[in-house]
Amino acid sequence: MADEQKPGGSEAAPPPGGEAAKEPGKTAVEAPKPAPPKPALPPPKPPAIMVATPWESELARELKESFGEGIGETSTYLGQNFIVAKPGSAIPILEYLKLESDFDYLVDITAVDWPKRADRFDVVYILYSFSRNERVRVKIHIPDGYQPETAVGVHLTADWLEREVMPDEWQGYPLRKDHGILQQDERWVQENLGIESGQ
Amino acid sequence: MPDSTFLDSTELVLNMGPQHPSTHGVLRVILKLDGEKVLGTECVIGYLHRGVEKIAENRTYAQFNPYVDRMDYVAAISNGLGYCLAVEKMLNVEAPPRAQAIRVILTELNRIASHLLWLGTHALDIGAITPVFYCLREREEALKIFEKYCGARLTTHAFRIGGLLYETYDGFEQDIRDFCAMFVPHVDEYEELLTNNRIWIGRLKDVGILNADECKEFGVTGPVLRAAGVKWDLRKAQPYSGYEKYDFEIPTRQNGDTYDRYIVRMQEMRQSVRIMQQAVEAIPEGPIMGKVGKVIKPPVGEAYVSIEAPKGELGYYVVSDGSTQPYRVRVRPPCFVNLQALDRMIRGGLVADVVAVIGTLDIVLGEIDR
Amino acid sequence: MRGLLNKIFLVDLFQGLWVTFRNQHPKYIYTERYPEERPKVAERYRGAPRLNINPDNGETLCISCNLCALACPETLIVVTSERNEVTKRKDLTTFTYDTSRCMFCGLCEDACPVDALELTQDFEMATYTREGQIWDRQMLEEGPKPTQYKC
Repeated sequence: MADEQKPGGSEAAPPPGGEAAKEPGKTAVEAPKPAPPKPALPPPKPPAIMVATPWESELARELKESFGEGIGETSTYLGQNFIVAKPGSAIPILEYLKLESDFDYLVDITAVDWPKRADRFDVVYILYSFSRNERVRVKIHIPDGYQPETAVGVHLTADWLEREVMPDEWQGYPLRKDHGILQQDERWVQENLGIESGQ
Repeated sequence: MPDSTFLDSTELVLNMGPQHPSTHGVLRVILKLDGEKVLGTECVIGYLHRGVEKIAENRTYAQFNPYVDRMDYVAAISNGLGYCLAVEKMLNVEAPPRAQAIRVILTELNRIASHLLWLGTHALDIGAITPVFYCLREREEALKIFEKYCGARLTTHAFRIGGLLYETYDGFEQDIRDFCAMFVPHVDEYEELLTNNRIWIGRLKDVGILNADECKEFGVTGPVLRAAGVKWDLRKAQPYSGYEKYDFEIPTRQNGDTYDRYIVRMQEMRQSVRIMQQAVEAIPEGPIMGKVGKVIKPPVGEAYVSIEAPKGELGYYVVSDGSTQPYRVRVRPPCFVNLQALDRMIRGGLVADVVAVIGTLDIVLGEIDR
Repeated sequence: MRGLLNKIFLVDLFQGLWVTFRNQHPKYIYTERYPEERPKVAERYRGAPRLNINPDNGETLCISCNLCALACPETLIVVTSERNEVTKRKDLTTFTYDTSRCMFCGLCEDACPVDALELTQDFEMATYTREGQIWDRQMLEEGPKPTQYKC
């Protein structure tokens, strides 16, 4: 459709708020940041891991055939299926799922921060298919600073879901794990709100 | 001799909100206007941001439960149900049948309360002042039942992970029956006031059309989707909390305009009464709390659970790292996603339609900003 | 034809007016005359907190176990105690409850093993200062004393 690049009503990013990135097409957590010198972390020991079982189905097979290397893992946990994909192939997978398999409703995009891991962030796309009445999650693991492609070209709804609804000048990423719950951008608060501190 | 620019017509940027009464909270909409015609809109949200998702990571599972009430505060019970179901899914327990039946009754009552507030304020925005008094009068009866059941009217904290804390009070069943009997004639009354009213029809018909394909494209759910003709309701599609036991219809309409969304919500209230009537006659005996330890500690893993809240699909994506605190809680708020379609719905419409369309989306800013 | 007649004779509007007319009946009056007539809140209402005392000997029921403080999502309860050498138990010294941050979720009262802390039916908790919102042990035991208005 015509205005896919600048979808309805959101030319100006909605400022302060909940989830995702500063500009459209940039997913929540990995908005570029003066990358802090990363201490060489020891390889994280996996104490307890999610006990997921392989997801055997027609769809999983189809996807593996079509994307081969692009798909790392197709698993199911608590009856909920998910795919772990290579960062670059997430959008083609979403497109494939939408066009070929009827997963026409992008429920949500979110991200999880695992600071101890080399590929620090999980970006999770939750999809639903009206005709199959089925959900599937597509996950990618990305390192800090990586900018995944936007999903707006496939699903218009991704536009707002991908935004971090914070003031543009705000420093820091509140939903990261290394951001304390009481921490805030004091300078921004003092300059814009005229109070010493929000706490 | 007037200045030559006097007769120029330029585009006007008009700021609506965040204190505008018809934006239902602190929504700010920047309208680009050509005369009365809306050329485009921008939503500015976040004035009510409290960082609920961050708070969740610093609370235990049980402690986070009261916070979810404060997102969609007019449908607090639905929020609580979604969160409890998500954590129960991760713990792999299910609430006992009695708890499930009581949950269904209260959730449906909350749906009615939410729709009543929507109807009253929506009608008020359009200019029909009377319905809001009647709606709040009936909503009061629902809130009284909440207060009697769990001690709070709005932010109820009614459910606990694993089931319920409170047993029903004496006369709960009778209160629900009385409410149902009282309520249906009142819905007829609202419909008498509005459904055939020529001003109401004139203001709502063919305003803010969003067809089924656009709905899917934008991820819009709830009554807005059903008004566009998609017969989809999570209570039927993926039943939770025992909804498969009850017989009810999914009301749909075809045009996807504001009037249809009004009709769908009115029908939904009637269906909610039907569900409550069935559920209240068949509350099973038994315990109300499932096998959940005092300390809630789900195994490492993740789950996405969603329910049909009054506004649409309300989802919780919970990640656990095996500790007593959730590693990540992501809330998929229906209002946030539905609001995204606002621009598509009013582009090309008139300024007066903006108010109608915001009203018909039934947004709650507490949920959009979280 | 019928639709046209309905339109000319304003049937839809009169229908609506008839509804408003019916609702004039005094039995639909819902006004609460608040300060004069105090509303009856439900038995389970979660209002002002109270620290119960044993009616027999006037001593507090609280055993200073600190469970309420741990259960509170807002960590607004602070309990201090000292060990009594005679009874070998902890004696409550101070109990502070910050009602300005309280959201009346009731988790503290659920956590209390001896039913000492309770959310009561009192709902008039307004004060003139922020400090007044922080209740100490004495305030919690006595409860708020709102002004009573006579009608």
